[in-house]
Amino acid sequence: MEVSHSVKERTIAENSLVILLQGLCGRVTTVELRDESAAAGRVTSVDAFMNVRLAEVTFTDRQGAVSHLDELFVTGRNIRYVHIPDEVDIQATIEEQLQAIHRVRYFGGRDKGRREFLHAKH
Amino acid sequence: VSSSRFDPLLALYSPRTPLPFPAAPCFNNLAEYESFQRGLRRPPGRRAAPARRGAAAGRASRRGPPAADPERIQRLRSLMVNAGPEQEGAEGGTARRRRRAPRNVLTRMPLHEGSPLGELHRCVRDGVRINVHIRTFKGLRGVCTGFLVAFDKFWNMALTDVDETYRKPVMGKAFYAEPQLSLTRLFDRLKLQESSGKKGADSKTVSEELALTNDSQTLSLRAGSGRGKAEEERERQKHWGRAGEKKTPGDRSEADVGSRTAHTKGASAGGARARSQSRRRRRPKVDYQQVFTRHINQIFIRGENVLLVHLAH
Repeated sequence: MEVSHSVKERTIAENSLVILLQGLCGRVTTVELRDESAAAGRVTSVDAFMNVRLAEVTFTDRQGAVSHLDELFVTGRNIRYVHIPDEVDIQATIEEQLQAIHRVRYFGGRDKGRREFLHAKH
Repeated sequence: VSSSRFDPLLALYSPRTPLPFPAAPCFNNLAEYESFQRGLRRPPGRRAAPARRGAAAGRASRRGPPAADPERIQRLRSLMVNAGPEQEGAEGGTARRRRRAPRNVLTRMPLHEGSPLGELHRCVRDGVRINVHIRTFKGLRGVCTGFLVAFDKFWNMALTDVDETYRKPVMGKAFYAEPQLSLTRLFDRLKLQESSGKKGADSKTVSEELALTNDSQTLSLRAGSGRGKAEEERERQKHWGRAGEKKTPGDRSEADVGSRTAHTKGASAGGARARSQSRRRRRPKVDYQQVFTRHINQIFIRGENVLLVHLAH
């Protein structure tokens, strides 16, 4: 569970389905790009803008040329599909990631530590 | 803390540091501290009561925000260090529990009631099979049909049990010199026809296509030599009568791509069927317009690529 260090990225991820992709970190999947090429490999990380880092990738070009890459970075906008492995439960993965964010946000207890959302004191 | 043996590093990193004032309020910056102090200072002054704390000494008195109501004073008092223990009991710890309801992607899904995204949420709830039209850079790429598990405001969707029917986009010269149609005046209609043509290609049974073999073969042969538009129109008219009755089985709800008259529907169905015929007939050459289908168990679609979502009853 690597939750992003940035508050902004955390909230973006928390309110969108990118969080499902973040839960796929460490799994081998195929990412299909919008130019009809495909990258199959292990997901290293996904950020809030859906930029994906993959490792040990089999990259199939849109012409069909296959190549092997150690690492691949795909911009979020270029993604069309992400295949989700069969053993992944979508609902459970989302909830786990949300809990991870929740833990990071409320780290240190209620009255201790720096608070992410200012307590409404008006 | 004030002893000479105080080790700040140990204090910061140890999980069991005894805090001198455990209930001290924590602030994120100096401005918060100032406004907190300001807020606490004003109510005692307004009520003309004796100053509550000596800690307020040295603070410049400034105009603060208006309306300090007793409830707020009560709340603030509970934050005060010196008056801490007695006030907290009065306040009740429950009043300051998570007053915000959690807002995350899962709780936002039912919020879109009354809007198209609310329809999507209905599909998640009721398990309605969805047809998602996927776009290529210009026009339709294909259709994903599956059950919706989750979505968000960008129309990113997580689908299960997905059958995808798609076609690779045609590039280069072929983009301009499509076998059946090539004139720019019909380009827009071509895109519409392409979508229904592709649908026609995968929804038709083989027997239906064989029935049209002869006519479409002549059509494709003549199309291969690059005829003018007028001739094609005539050909299409010729097929229209025959295609008329064949249209209805193949012309599912997929023809609702745009508002079209019956005439164009018939013409496009005929032309589309012929085009799918010539696609198959051209297999000795490289087949650019082949329609592919595949089954994927779980897929995530980025919302940017979604053209439209069609609910299957």
